[in-house]
Amino acid sequence: MPALFFLIPLIGVITLNLPFRKLMKKTAFWFAAVLFIFQIVLVSSHRTSFWGTGLVQGSFFNVNFYVDHLTLIMLFSISIVSLASLLVARAMISDENKRFNFINLLITAAIGMNGIVMVKDIFSLYVFLEVAAVSAFIMITINKDKPALEGAFKYILLSAIATIMMLSSIGLLLLIAGDTSFGAISAAISSSPQSMLVKLAMAIFLCGLFIKGGLIPFHGWLPDAYSAAAAPASVLLAGIVTKVSGIYTLIRIVTSLFGFTPAVSKVLLLIGAASIVIGAFAALGQKDLKRMLAYSSISQVGYIIIGFGTGSVLGVTGAVFHLFNHAIFKSLLFVNAAAVEKEAGTVDMDRLGGLSQTMPITGTTSAIAFLSTSGIPPLAGFWSKVIIIIALWQAGYIAYAAVAVLTSVLTAAYLITMQRKAFFGNIAPGLERTKEAPLAICVASIILAAVTVGVGVFFPFVFNNFIMPVKEILIK
Amino acid sequence: MRPEILLLPILIPFASGVLALFTSRKYRGMVALIAAAMNLALACFLFKANVIFTAPWAGFGFEFILRAYQFSGFIIGAAACFAILITLYCTVFLKEKAFSNQFYAYLLISIAMLNGAVLADNLVAMLFFWEGMLLTLFGLIAIGRPGAFKTATKAFVIVGICDLCMMAGIALSGHLAGTLTISKISLDITGLGGLAFILLMIGAISKAGSMPFHSWIPDAALDAPLPFMAIFPGALEKLIGIYFLTRISLDMFKLDPHSWVSMVMMIVGSLTIVLAVSMALIQKDYKRLLSYHAISQVGYMILGIGTLVPAGIIGGLFHMLNNAIYKSCLFLTGGAVEKETGTTDLKKLGGLWKKMPVTFACFAVAAVSISGVPPFNGFFSKELVYDGALERGMIFYIAALLGSFLTAASFLKLGHAAYLGKISKENERAKEAPIQMLLPMIVIASFCIIFGLWNTLPIQKLIQPILGERLEGHNYGGFPTNMMLVIATVAVLLAALINHIFGVKKSGSGLGAVDHIHHAPVLSGIYDKAEKRLFDPYAIGLKIVDVVSKIAWSVDRGIDWVYNVFFVDAAFAVSNGIRSLHNGSYAAYLAWSLAGAGLVIIFLMR
Repeated sequence: MPALFFLIPLIGVITLNLPFRKLMKKTAFWFAAVLFIFQIVLVSSHRTSFWGTGLVQGSFFNVNFYVDHLTLIMLFSISIVSLASLLVARAMISDENKRFNFINLLITAAIGMNGIVMVKDIFSLYVFLEVAAVSAFIMITINKDKPALEGAFKYILLSAIATIMMLSSIGLLLLIAGDTSFGAISAAISSSPQSMLVKLAMAIFLCGLFIKGGLIPFHGWLPDAYSAAAAPASVLLAGIVTKVSGIYTLIRIVTSLFGFTPAVSKVLLLIGAASIVIGAFAALGQKDLKRMLAYSSISQVGYIIIGFGTGSVLGVTGAVFHLFNHAIFKSLLFVNAAAVEKEAGTVDMDRLGGLSQTMPITGTTSAIAFLSTSGIPPLAGFWSKVIIIIALWQAGYIAYAAVAVLTSVLTAAYLITMQRKAFFGNIAPGLERTKEAPLAICVASIILAAVTVGVGVFFPFVFNNFIMPVKEILIK
Repeated sequence: MRPEILLLPILIPFASGVLALFTSRKYRGMVALIAAAMNLALACFLFKANVIFTAPWAGFGFEFILRAYQFSGFIIGAAACFAILITLYCTVFLKEKAFSNQFYAYLLISIAMLNGAVLADNLVAMLFFWEGMLLTLFGLIAIGRPGAFKTATKAFVIVGICDLCMMAGIALSGHLAGTLTISKISLDITGLGGLAFILLMIGAISKAGSMPFHSWIPDAALDAPLPFMAIFPGALEKLIGIYFLTRISLDMFKLDPHSWVSMVMMIVGSLTIVLAVSMALIQKDYKRLLSYHAISQVGYMILGIGTLVPAGIIGGLFHMLNNAIYKSCLFLTGGAVEKETGTTDLKKLGGLWKKMPVTFACFAVAAVSISGVPPFNGFFSKELVYDGALERGMIFYIAALLGSFLTAASFLKLGHAAYLGKISKENERAKEAPIQMLLPMIVIASFCIIFGLWNTLPIQKLIQPILGERLEGHNYGGFPTNMMLVIATVAVLLAALINHIFGVKKSGSGLGAVDHIHHAPVLSGIYDKAEKRLFDPYAIGLKIVDVVSKIAWSVDRGIDWVYNVFFVDAAFAVSNGIRSLHNGSYAAYLAWSLAGAGLVIIFLMR
């Protein structure tokens, strides 16, 4: 049954493009919207007859599908961020053809991401990674402007290197295990844990994922791609694509295949800490709103990795929780950036100011998002950050915990600067006639803000029912 | 007698104090007077009682124990007598004042707190009531003339710091003794015990107004309402301070006359006598002059108790009673003069004896009492203190005697300047004070004579039972047995008189009678500095605090700079550094990634 998550969109994309193209152009948006909403509803009502009572496994053309609680969280994030991106696209892309193409690509990317989170076969995983990545490349350049092309080009080149690394690693693993399914590889690795080949495979695979996830020092492509991408593409890219293809995959690969070793933990903690600190410092000096958000993304992903690096139950659940929260509030910030870009015509923070007066919904939701990112209680971001910091402390990584705490001050600093420059204070000259963003963007930002607030306020319920069960990935 | 009755001396004045606060101006005095009368009746009822009231309190050994016995009955009775007389006086003196409701309320609550502190047999309970008196002290000063708030703060800070010492002393002695029940504590003064004693002593003598914790009293004399001076520094604070000093010296700590704490107390006492009276000598204001005497006389009490010989202790306690009597009387005469002439500045006063003969008579009796002229009460208590001081060391005796000389000299000056000489034009129409004011003065002044002529009465009935077995059968009542001391005293008083006549002749007025001492070569410089408050511990403390706060301020600025400038600049410098690395060069990004990958692979393959 889970295969439907990529079968239905696939069939949908094909039908959209075969006959009646003219008619389909008009209905594409609604088709995609229904698709994503359906996915949201289905996932959030989990444990229904659709999912059965326990974990669901299925097979389609030799591709093994596998759904656990981590997958559910990812499916939910994918659908909600894709929906936001879709809404932004409706408002931002005025050309009907371009919009139709974008929606097709969006559904394709969703197929890719749904596939990534559900497969339990390393080669299929790679295939879906490529599906998502290729759709993302094109979405970035949907407007065919020069910076976007440059950003996409950097992304493609570094992604290509990542692909090479992962493919080589997959080759090595196939050599060792004789199969590409998680179970077979995991069994082969645990039978010969000291094998140099395994270590090499693991190292190369991890480096590939670090590039995909945009971690320091593998992040070179990320600021350019995020800031130059078309607005709806940047929402999708920052909100979910890199998170799924980089971070989720990392979590899945490490827990299912390689397992935690002290060395892996050390690498993860170090890279996580470096990303947190350098990302935050870099964000502090940015003038471009979207670029600042891009560096902020690096920093926040650092939190996920550092929490995951502890390898403890609390750390891993905290990391997954932060992954989810980050998907929500970072997409929200990019949706707001899109609204600003559309209405004010610029994302240069020196030229913005006082937009809360003319764009109250955007200003307010942006405030919610930045407070959540900075880790202000009771918003969602506070809880995940606190869990990660507690996990670090409990695992004895007190220095890392200190880094995490101190950097959240920096996080607050650059986000407050952003909020103050763009939204608070007197309205900047030339912006007096701006008006509230189009309805579609407002709907997207309100949905995302509501999720952030709701998850924060009902934290115990959400954490116990959805996040805590994720610890099953640690028990093999 | 039910033990619960011990709660009444606390509850009744407290409740009537609160009531007085909300009573209209017309009936305030009446309410206060009735309450004071009830308090006096209770005090008489409890006078010979021996009752213990115990109630569980906060736990941790903090039991609420009240104990009425000989000594506490004596103190409560004395306080109740003063309270009713002063209240009677106030009904006239404060009639026109808007703040009289506050005054009565604070006064009655003070009485309640004093009763509680005296009755309490648990150190924590006592501290509670003791601190209650600090609050009313603040209130009573603050309602005085405009600007009194500063003086009230000064008093609050000084007494508050000393009470803090006492609090530490209570904690320490409770820790050492294992109990907080006063009657069960018996400590040595070795090691920490000595520290505990000194801390408790600081609390006690600062309440009594001894040096160096005195400097708020002369300021309050000018700022606070006058009846406050008569009742608080004049009577109640002496009673409770010396009461507690006696309790710790006799009951709580095992002291003997050769211990170092005895020496400490005698030194404090002697210095207080001499220094305060020297300051009193040169004052040009009726109330301010009296206030320095209020400090100086404490010295006799501390010196007497500090000798730790029976004669000295009895002398100290008797002096406490006598001082309360004549000092409140003196303050009340000052109040009468202020009410009738509108000033207490000695330069504007003079020749009042014709206009206010009763006031003058009361003043004269109290003044000769305080100077220690036989056969008034002050003479007998001073003789006992001399006796004790001489037994412990000639130097203390000489200090006490010098104090006597200066006291006599300053009162000759005060009496001469205020009541004798030529009357000034403004005071031509002054008349005698009303009867409600005269009555308390007359009653108190008559006690000066009664306790002088029949000194065996207070000594044998009130004071000697406090010492009990320490007396070893001696009786200190009656005329002093050591005639040498009497002769020396009389000689000193005569010297003071001669000095006065000499001074008047030299300067030509009563006010300038001591100018030759004031302007003596070395003394004049010291006096000038003292008048500029260079020796005021509070002023010195304020200066030190000022310096410390300036240093702290600059440290704070420094910390601020670190946070507001240094960290921000450093953060932006780092940020700019990182930003300049991101130059958009694809090759650089690729190099970073590959270098990172290389490091990770090497690390994991290791």
